[in-house]
Amino acid sequence: MARSVSTREPIKIRKDLRLAPGYLLCGVWALFTFLLIGWTIAASLVTPREIFGGDVLGAFFERLVNFDLVFNNYVLAWGAQNLSRFFVNSVIYSVISLTLIIIIAAPASYALSRFKFRFNAVVQGITSIAMGVPAVMIIMPIFSLATAMRATGSRTTLIFLYIGMNVPFTIFYLLPFFKNLPSGLEEAAAVDGCSPVRTFWRIMFPLAQPGIITVTIFNFITIWNEFFISMIFANDAAIRPIAVGLFNMVQGMRYAGHWGAMFASAVIVFAPTFILFIFLSNKILASVTGGAIKG
Amino acid sequence: MVGRKNKRMIVLFLIPAIFIYVMVFIYPVFRTFIMSFFAVEAIEQPFYQWTFAGLDNYIGLFGIDLFNRSVTNYLTLWFVGGIAVLFLGMVYAVILTSGVRLKRFWRAVIYLPNVISAIALGTMWINYVFRDIDGLFDRAVNLMGGQTPVMWTGPYMGLWSLLIAYCFGMVGYIMLTFISGIEKISDEYYESASIEGANIFHKFFFITLPLIRGVVRSNIVIWTVSLGTGVFAWSFMFSPNNLTLPFTMPPNYMREIIFGGRGSAVIQRDSGSAAAVGILMALLVVVISVAASLITRRDDVEM
Repeated sequence: MARSVSTREPIKIRKDLRLAPGYLLCGVWALFTFLLIGWTIAASLVTPREIFGGDVLGAFFERLVNFDLVFNNYVLAWGAQNLSRFFVNSVIYSVISLTLIIIIAAPASYALSRFKFRFNAVVQGITSIAMGVPAVMIIMPIFSLATAMRATGSRTTLIFLYIGMNVPFTIFYLLPFFKNLPSGLEEAAAVDGCSPVRTFWRIMFPLAQPGIITVTIFNFITIWNEFFISMIFANDAAIRPIAVGLFNMVQGMRYAGHWGAMFASAVIVFAPTFILFIFLSNKILASVTGGAIKG
Repeated sequence: MVGRKNKRMIVLFLIPAIFIYVMVFIYPVFRTFIMSFFAVEAIEQPFYQWTFAGLDNYIGLFGIDLFNRSVTNYLTLWFVGGIAVLFLGMVYAVILTSGVRLKRFWRAVIYLPNVISAIALGTMWINYVFRDIDGLFDRAVNLMGGQTPVMWTGPYMGLWSLLIAYCFGMVGYIMLTFISGIEKISDEYYESASIEGANIFHKFFFITLPLIRGVVRSNIVIWTVSLGTGVFAWSFMFSPNNLTLPFTMPPNYMREIIFGGRGSAVIQRDSGSAAAVGILMALLVVVISVAASLITRRDDVEM
């Protein structure tokens, strides 16, 4: 998995010249990405008049050197426009779902990866298929079921769906982590009188921790950004997660002319996953290809 | 080897996951499939109130302009966007595996949009890049002497703008999968090719491409699967108040006929047809997956 890191390579003019078109293409893409995000952050700290003035970056730097950035945009977005409520909702949904996903998926993945039994291949097959089932196929029956149980527009239904949608990938992702643990561990634990269930939670689960942490980060990003299911199942403003909350806020703020606060809300929404990615990009990128091997 | 204690543990460990599979995947898929052959108005109606309608839902859908347009829009996005994303993903994967410096940095930057909420990303694109006159694209067009405003989010350019913004986010994901495929190819192939005097294009077409056919197939499937739900948020961002022809997409049309229109009372609630939309979208995924595996069947490298 770990590739040798080639930092501080001596400068080889011929090689670098040959790679120049590659650098150019990477540079163009990176420049655009930075401009997109940088401009948005700048616009979140200036007035609507300055945003319409055209020179947002200029206005931003002028305010920056004068210690005059418009943090009021953030105050407005967070407080008056209720983004704080959606933010807290999403934090609650994430914490509960991520915990339960692991409690459900890790034991299942362990059983599938280390034991031979009759329906093993069937369950693994369903896992692979479930990862490719479009969400449009599952929302309607769940919605009728929730209606029958008077649970539409409830936090429980939302959390249940966040868990359901992420369990297959999590089981699939953890398979190799359990499979690659040393094979004698269970026997040794059994000799010491440890029951299979205890052996899992005490010995195997902690050993698979690198995989569990990585897949949880990945699941967090998925749940934080989830929009389709939330849009269907969170009609009530009080239970809206952050993506749906932002969508409604953006429309409202455009009409009200709160342009600075609109960009501030967007920044608040992408900040958690963005910051996580800056610090943990290698872990996250490893989890992406881990799951993509079988499409 | 599986003792009685282990057997009990396996059952205990699998029950929650199997419960999830049954409740969230198996039961819904079957019910949606059956529902697509029945006339059902409101989604809440219990099964005994459904009336069998054969293929009426499917036939009916293709008589509705808005739905037909959503299919055209979706397939355009799937085809044109798919080619663009696979091409760009491949180009950047080849660049990043060719020995450039700062590889991890470039890789992270290109992947970055994937971790950002589509709604936040859409807000940036629509209100900055695509904004009339002083937006990034209009300024670039202006600089090159073109006519502005282009009206990037208007009815003529709208779908292409949506395509550009959506694809921008997907390139990093597809690129990563290509990189992981290319990195599995032994360096020896490239070294002996270099000795024979092959240039970068020879190496790409005669070594890399044949050996990552399996990854190309995976990426076609990934692109098709992710488009189904991914496009929903983007269609909403470009057309927030109601369904409009240039931006309508099947999942958005489906939502509209399940719950009734946003603001417009024109759209009748029709859950049976909504189920048919779901089945058609799933069918596309199945057809593409099978077709992709047929096209790239004879590959030697199992990815």
